[in-house]
Amino acid sequence: MSGGLYVHALDMAVGALLLAGVLALWRRDLAAIVRLFAVQGAALAALVAVLGLHEGHAATVALAAGILVLRAAVLPLMLRRAMLAGGAFRETEPLVNVASSLVAAALLALLSFAVTRPVVELAPSPATRAVPVALTVVLLGFFVLVTRRRALSQVAGFLMMDNGITAVAFLTTTGVPFIVELGMSLDVLLAVLVLQILTSRIRDVFGDSDLDDLRELHD
Amino acid sequence: MTNPTGAAFCAALALGLLAAAAAALPRRVRPAAVGGATAAAGAAAVAAGLSAMAGRPWSAWLPDLLPLAGVRLAVDPLGGLFIAVTGAVAVCAAVYAAGYSRPGRDGPDAGHGLDGGHGLDGRAVQAMLPLFVLAMLLVPAAASVTTFLLAWELMAITSLLLVVAEHRRRASVGEAGLWYAVMTHLGLVAILAGLAGFAAASHGESFDRLREAADGLPPAVRSAVFVATLAGFASKAGIVPLHVWLPRAHPEAPSHVSALMSAAMVNMGVYGIVRVGLDLLGGGPAWWWLIVLAAGAVSALYGILQAVVATDLKRLLAYSTCENMGLVLVGVGAAGLLSVSGARTMAALALTAAMLHVVNHAGFKTLLFLAAGSVLRATGTRDLDALGGLRSPMPATTALFGVGALMASALPPGSAFVSEWLLLQSLVHALPEGGTVAAVTMPVAVAVVALSAGLAIAAFTKAFGVGFLARPRGAGAERAHESPPAMIAGMVLAAAGCVVAALAPGLIADGLSRAVGVAAAVAGPAADPVTGPVVLRPAGMPSTMSPLLITVALLVAAVVLIGVLRAAAAGRARRRARPWDCGAGPASARMEYTATSFAEPLVRVFDDVLAPDTDLDVTPVEESAYLIDSVRYRTEVADRVEHRLYRPVLAAARWTGRAARPLANGSVHRYVGYGFYAFTAMLIVLAVTR
Amino acid sequence: MSAAGTVGAVAQVLLVAAGAPLLVGVMRQVRARLEGRAGAGVAQPWRDLRKLLRKEPIAPHGTGVLFRAAPLVLAGAALVAAGVVPLVTTASPLDGIADLFAVIALLALGTVFLALAGLDTATAFGGMGASREMVVLALVEPTILLSVFALSARVGSTNLGEIVTTTLHDPQLVVSPVSLLAAVALAIVTIAETGRIPVDNPSTHLELTMIHEAMVLEYAGPDLALVEWASAMRLTVLLGLFANLFAPWGIAGTSLLMLPVALLAFSAKVVVLGGALAAGEVFMAKLRMFRVPELLAGSFLMALLAVAASFFLAGP
Repeated sequence: MSGGLYVHALDMAVGALLLAGVLALWRRDLAAIVRLFAVQGAALAALVAVLGLHEGHAATVALAAGILVLRAAVLPLMLRRAMLAGGAFRETEPLVNVASSLVAAALLALLSFAVTRPVVELAPSPATRAVPVALTVVLLGFFVLVTRRRALSQVAGFLMMDNGITAVAFLTTTGVPFIVELGMSLDVLLAVLVLQILTSRIRDVFGDSDLDDLRELHD
Repeated sequence: MTNPTGAAFCAALALGLLAAAAAALPRRVRPAAVGGATAAAGAAAVAAGLSAMAGRPWSAWLPDLLPLAGVRLAVDPLGGLFIAVTGAVAVCAAVYAAGYSRPGRDGPDAGHGLDGGHGLDGRAVQAMLPLFVLAMLLVPAAASVTTFLLAWELMAITSLLLVVAEHRRRASVGEAGLWYAVMTHLGLVAILAGLAGFAAASHGESFDRLREAADGLPPAVRSAVFVATLAGFASKAGIVPLHVWLPRAHPEAPSHVSALMSAAMVNMGVYGIVRVGLDLLGGGPAWWWLIVLAAGAVSALYGILQAVVATDLKRLLAYSTCENMGLVLVGVGAAGLLSVSGARTMAALALTAAMLHVVNHAGFKTLLFLAAGSVLRATGTRDLDALGGLRSPMPATTALFGVGALMASALPPGSAFVSEWLLLQSLVHALPEGGTVAAVTMPVAVAVVALSAGLAIAAFTKAFGVGFLARPRGAGAERAHESPPAMIAGMVLAAAGCVVAALAPGLIADGLSRAVGVAAAVAGPAADPVTGPVVLRPAGMPSTMSPLLITVALLVAAVVLIGVLRAAAAGRARRRARPWDCGAGPASARMEYTATSFAEPLVRVFDDVLAPDTDLDVTPVEESAYLIDSVRYRTEVADRVEHRLYRPVLAAARWTGRAARPLANGSVHRYVGYGFYAFTAMLIVLAVTR
Repeated sequence: MSAAGTVGAVAQVLLVAAGAPLLVGVMRQVRARLEGRAGAGVAQPWRDLRKLLRKEPIAPHGTGVLFRAAPLVLAGAALVAAGVVPLVTTASPLDGIADLFAVIALLALGTVFLALAGLDTATAFGGMGASREMVVLALVEPTILLSVFALSARVGSTNLGEIVTTTLHDPQLVVSPVSLLAAVALAIVTIAETGRIPVDNPSTHLELTMIHEAMVLEYAGPDLALVEWASAMRLTVLLGLFANLFAPWGIAGTSLLMLPVALLAFSAKVVVLGGALAAGEVFMAKLRMFRVPELLAGSFLMALLAVAASFFLAGP
């Protein structure tokens, strides 16, 4: 891949990764959040593929295909099934209202830019320069995890955080060992399965998946 | 004395004293004499300030005037800028006061000063006004710590006496005075501690000595001096969260005093920060300026949000002062920050923008407060919800307030637009040279400036549209009548100044660059930060803007449009008709939008910040819960900072007071004994430690 | 100051003045066709204006000079903006008097006068419209200025001619994340500023939802004609500005020969953007008033990310 094209493709993939995260924060519709998560998975796959092509690692490109299958197809489908089974389609009342969370996201982005500056200056390259964006995705996912009430949007937040972490890993090290990524993905899959089971159990017991209801367990 | 700056400055001081002496004249001529002499003092001060800004500094040492230290005065371009601004505000306010302080003639509550010797034309109040102006002229001219602190305290006391001038008319005046007295003296303590520490560490108290010694001081001392003085100066400038006195004192003071305080006195806070931080200390680490910038940003946003929701006209203007001082501090903070990262051209530009905003704010805030005073005098109320329809009974005041509102709302051809444009230019173009800190702070600063500019537009549209246009909403507004010529003359002077500053800011560009040059930390090797009489060209970037040509273009476009309309339209006479009332009969004044309803959407949008206190009380009739008998709705937006921050402190103070009550049982012996014990204890401590 | 620049500036003012109602006509026609109606034809807005101009001017009781001056200021500001913004030529002699900040402020000036006129009518509708318009205006401001920040940071100037020329010489800039994010942000605020769906519905007269229409409810005859024409010009200028910030190709520089091409290119760009906007509106509903801040906060976030990207993603 030629230099200019590589930088552009990389920037675009990272941009799409971030944009999907931002839009997930914006939308209330759970179906849309799941779709955005799929888009983010595809962007992550594209990012890894671009890195792989640039480095010429066949294994990384293969890994990109795996990521595509897992994060743009399998996990979104599972989330979708959980949503359809759950019967709740909207994130009605987030703990922080949408406008404020968008402004908070803006500040989080600036924070991650400021924090990763030394890392970028250590080895300035197009890949490391995109690290702050990936870190922003991590923070956004965390923010979704903290502020949303529905179990499903929290799972989506968790998965987006994981997408961000994967992106950071690839951007900083250019090539995570295949086995590590495989293990990580399996972990994520397992976590989602567990969460899904938990969600359905919560729903069975409380008739809803609003996590604030769990407070009742305390009394 | 051959120095023109010195001659003019001394003339200003002499005229000020003369004006104070004129308060002894009989009541009939007193307001005119005091007003005239104060205006002359102001004019002399403007001359002195401009002469200093033109590059003719002046200094004097009067060793015998005060014991120990003597009085040191020096008027340099930076001080000259503030002296000129203060003088100009004083001219307008004094001319206005000659009309405002006269006993009213149209009924019991039409004017002020009907209650015996305690009105605005009373001897003490009249004598305070020139003394207050004098003190404000001395602060930027002081060149030693003692002189500065004395002038500062004189300014605080005279302004306090003026604030409480009307305490017999309204109970709220006393409360406002108390807040002001406490805050201003806490501020004085902070400044005193900072400057005294500075002087002690540098073994001398003249500013020249401090300047020389500043570089050699340990960083901890420098930081302590900066932080202490910053707290004191920020409280004077009305910076959130030290602003609580401002929205109380400014509305309750007589309007010309509000103008003087809001347009001239708060500037002294900015002057102090620039003088100590950028000149005497010669700049400092980035975190100083981050504090300044953050305080400015918070103040700008919080101030303008409170202004948007305020329904009291003068309270709205007071909060707008918080906002504008916040914007100035954003500029000062950006200047300091950029000078740390070496971007001197941009730093000088940011400071120039801040100083220009000080000038512009002084102009439009004088005008607005004077016009608000005119409304208050004519209608007896400051409540926007009870105003309206002043256009026909008070055409001059309405037009002048309109000019002021346009100048204040960052729209071309306003004066605030020019300074905010310069500020934005310095923030936007700081990026390449500023480094990471600038890259993170500047976008936020730009967003803050932009949002506060947008909200300021909403606030002043509300103030002008609801307060002056439409139909009267209350009895006071229906009885309104135009103010006497002296008051209008004062406002016209202020408006003229604003218009000149708005259309030809290039006129003072030279003086501003000299004033900025005094601040050692940002004084760059480059040429003037802003050049061009007609087209403004900030140094170091190809951006240009010309307020004069924009205005001309607008006028040309309007004239062309009128011509086209004349030619194209049928040319039939204009007919008056009833406005659309949904066919429900003539709309009454009660159906109009009020200031509260105008601001309601914004209150809802900024619900999280403002936390309004809302009550909805629905009473159904006895027979059925579905038939509503009455609905009561009450909403109040209180100053949240005050509630959250000051309430606990006040409660703690009250608690301590109550707890300490047994200590004071009324026995004089006991009180004297306390003094004795304390004294002996101190001696024992000394004996042990030394 | 070149002759071509002067001719170009005059040409673009005339084109905007004459073409703006036609653009509105095209947009209505696109909408009508997509909704299965025949539509009134592209020239209908001009016919409406002619009709309004012939009517008798009417002012409600109790309104003053401001009510009459507001349409003039609104249209005047739009005309000046049309002269300053590089729509057809980058060498307008007016370019130096107002940069992007000033153009935005100039358009806001017209809005403020209209809001004051709305308040002056002393009806609840006027106040309602003014109040809502001010909310949108205040919240749009940060996004606009941050987008300007993002676009001007790489150029080093906020002057529009400079920004457009730089983009023209370096087309790679357009497909960067900075440009894309800024474009999304500016698109949203353009919609908000011109009062289109989903922020405001230009064809509604329902009290609960209208913003712009509520302010101008009391205008009739030639005054209304002026207001309508000014709104159309505003839309044209903002769409043209948007088009030329991100796709400046075809714009004329200092050569006279390019002018006809530039005029055609500008018309084509604006018609395409307007058509897309109208087509989009068919599939969208107006947002609730209190959902608008969310939309604007989103655009603010995009703009801030654009600024951050312009600094942090920039290579050495």
